Amino acid sequence: MSQEPLIDILIDILIATVPLMLIFATLFAFTTWLERKALARIQNRIGPNKVGIPCTRIGLFGLGQPAADGIKMLFKEDIVPRGADRLFHLLAPILALIPAMLVLCFLPLEFPWTKSLLPVQAFLLDGAVIFFFAITGLNTLAVFMAGWASRNKYSLLGGMRAVAQMVSYEIPLVLSAVIVVMMVGSLNAAEIAKAQTGWDWFVFSPWGFAAFVIFFIAALAETNRSPFDLPEAESEIIAGYFTEYSGFKFALFFLGEYIAMFAISGLAVTLFLGGGDGPGLDVLPWLSVIWFLAKIFALIAMMIWLRGTLPRLRVDQLMGFAWKFMLPLSILNILVAGFAWHAQQLENTTITVITWVISLAVLYGAASGLNQLNRSNVRPREYKYAE
Amino acid sequence: MNGEIAFWILSAIAVLGALVAVRKRNLIHGVFALLVFFAGLSGLFLLLLAEFIAAVQVLVYIGAVGVLLLFAIMLTERVAGDDGRRMTSRGWSWGLVVAVAVFVVLLLPAILQLPSPEVAQEINPSVEELGKKLMNPYVVTLEVLALLLTAALIGAVTAAQGVRMPKEEDLPE
Repeated sequence: MSQEPLIDILIDILIATVPLMLIFATLFAFTTWLERKALARIQNRIGPNKVGIPCTRIGLFGLGQPAADGIKMLFKEDIVPRGADRLFHLLAPILALIPAMLVLCFLPLEFPWTKSLLPVQAFLLDGAVIFFFAITGLNTLAVFMAGWASRNKYSLLGGMRAVAQMVSYEIPLVLSAVIVVMMVGSLNAAEIAKAQTGWDWFVFSPWGFAAFVIFFIAALAETNRSPFDLPEAESEIIAGYFTEYSGFKFALFFLGEYIAMFAISGLAVTLFLGGGDGPGLDVLPWLSVIWFLAKIFALIAMMIWLRGTLPRLRVDQLMGFAWKFMLPLSILNILVAGFAWHAQQLENTTITVITWVISLAVLYGAASGLNQLNRSNVRPREYKYAE
Repeated sequence: MNGEIAFWILSAIAVLGALVAVRKRNLIHGVFALLVFFAGLSGLFLLLLAEFIAAVQVLVYIGAVGVLLLFAIMLTERVAGDDGRRMTSRGWSWGLVVAVAVFVVLLLPAILQLPSPEVAQEINPSVEELGKKLMNPYVVTLEVLALLLTAALIGAVTAAQGVRMPKEEDLPE
């Protein structure tokens, strides 16, 4: 293809990927601390507050906790069950991490130092969004691999739950992303972000808002976050698919899960929250990276908040919610967005306003109607012997 | 040059994956080896600049077909792995005949033409071009396919519901 020597291309690739990995690994460490702190505050505790600068009494709000956890994980004994499939037991955490890391390069983060890199620019493919969904889908396989290789019935149950859940929620996830692709007319992540500059974000429209909510809920389920953390429900199946993992392999799973959270939040930011758009970009162009990461963090904070607030779903509720509520709503939303796109082409203010009102009414009506239809007819419990 | 190195690496991965998939006794190992083969194939598509086909290869074959295979294995009693039973293959001679036929009829003419005289045409396999082609000349085909798939889906749901069992209270005492 290109005539450049191999070594140049390799160096370019390293310049593009190594900072990405370092930044997100650092953010991972910070996020674990943030999550523990926030959950503790929600539960009226203090959370980690001891580990700070070593050999002193300076606590730094426990910011040294991630480092201490990492060292602990590294030195822990790596236990593999006797009946386990040793090769797959080793491969599963790696397979969980690689797709999550890989999709980070599809996010339209405009670092100042990647401007001159040709191969990287080529890698921001036209089909970035579809590649993103294709590669995040591999996570399912890693989870199943871990559950199966452990040869433990709880692990296997967790793996099966995860596969069923991820396959179900992938459909509303993709269907809600279709709306943005339809509106922009491109699968290129950078172009999608560019189409929303100047506060023209997709979340500020009825169809875009509905799609964003569906996308966010489905993303929670895809990354096994609470309230959809059935694959690792500790009250039912111990820790699910990573019951038999300890030490650094467990840390890899943990890292993979958080990187996947960053990646899917990054995609949500790209699709609905305007990518790197924000105030002050005319003066300082590199601010777009900061805005991008800040928006990712806003979504992560939302996830932590939800984890501290909502109880876990039951399996039948989980499946019913995906297939009977989210799927019909996202298909209807595509229809609404199609009409809205045609209305926008007319560039008439009155028509735009009418479109907004009608689509708001349709989406709200559909959501509440689906809610009514899905209401389970559970009567209040009658106590026979108590009272 | 660089493309050639990548081609050899990816081809080696694909061929090795396919070999392991066929030779492994353990079902789950076989499935994962098959997925490695698919991944190698998608890399080869990427090398040909057919990025959409590469993405669809990952999405459909690794994502959907792989998970479907795992689902099917999960529902069998052999989910825990190899239980020592062996699948004996009979009629492998017929398989050999088919393999030789494929080689002579399909592959040999292509190999004999190497190195190929020239690239037939300037092709543009970009996503945009593909979308336009799907929407303009082939839109009827697309719609018919969608209808067919919907019918299959409804049929599957109907088949999966099966015979409705009588409710407990309807049964005679």
